[in-house]
Amino acid sequence: MNSAWFLYIGFAAALVFIGLYGLLAMRNLIKLFIGIEVLSKGVSLALVATGFAKSHLLIAQAITVTFIVVEVSVVATALAIIINIYRQTGSLDIRRLTKLKG
Amino acid sequence: MVIQIVLLGGLVLFSAAAILFRDLLKAAISLAFASLFLGILFFLMKAPYVGAFEISVVAGLITVLFIVTIALTKMEGNVRESRAALWIFPIFFALFLIIDIAVMKSLVGKIPAVESAPESGTFGQALWGLRTFDLVGQIGVILAGVFAVLALFRKRRKDE
Repeated sequence: MNSAWFLYIGFAAALVFIGLYGLLAMRNLIKLFIGIEVLSKGVSLALVATGFAKSHLLIAQAITVTFIVVEVSVVATALAIIINIYRQTGSLDIRRLTKLKG
Repeated sequence: MVIQIVLLGGLVLFSAAAILFRDLLKAAISLAFASLFLGILFFLMKAPYVGAFEISVVAGLITVLFIVTIALTKMEGNVRESRAALWIFPIFFALFLIIDIAVMKSLVGKIPAVESAPESGTFGQALWGLRTFDLVGQIGVILAGVFAVLALFRKRRKDE
């Protein structure tokens, strides 16, 4: 069971790495959010795998369900902000947001 | 264990594809496939509730939200991704995997397994019975999301 847990945690770390890479290297706002989604998949995999390995699956499931609810709320708000940014600037390029007016 | 490794590999592959695809629609669909793989893994880990949540909410609802956003922003939104980011990724990822495997191999057996008694009760008790004020926080988060979306799409009145 212990080695299986390390396998899951290793793959969860790989997902977190891919998400962080997306956040650092991409310029499209939607791509940045896909990066955040991938990162959160890594976190939920780590949570459930730890609960599975330590036989605390019920509490791990309860925490992960809470996490998914928060994730949906964040994604809905962020995508609404992205649509408004597109309407204002006509682009989804993150570099355009560094130019401040006023 | 072979099925789990195949699913984990597919999950990482589709997640990497979601980041690297230039077409946003393909990226969103790859993300949905990654969620589907993760949901099946949760079912195999005997966590059906979170598996059902992952497949219905993350693979379903969030993908729909992404596709609606992509449609409303007219596909790519005139963004040129840097080419260096695409070809540097495999090098960095391979380096990370080597470090990841080395660290995990060195840790196996060194961290003592925590003794834990098997859980009693049902998922409903764990979700509702063991929690107190954090439920209020969760309701607050959902309401904050709803009101934020309403506020962001508010229309200007004619007299303003």
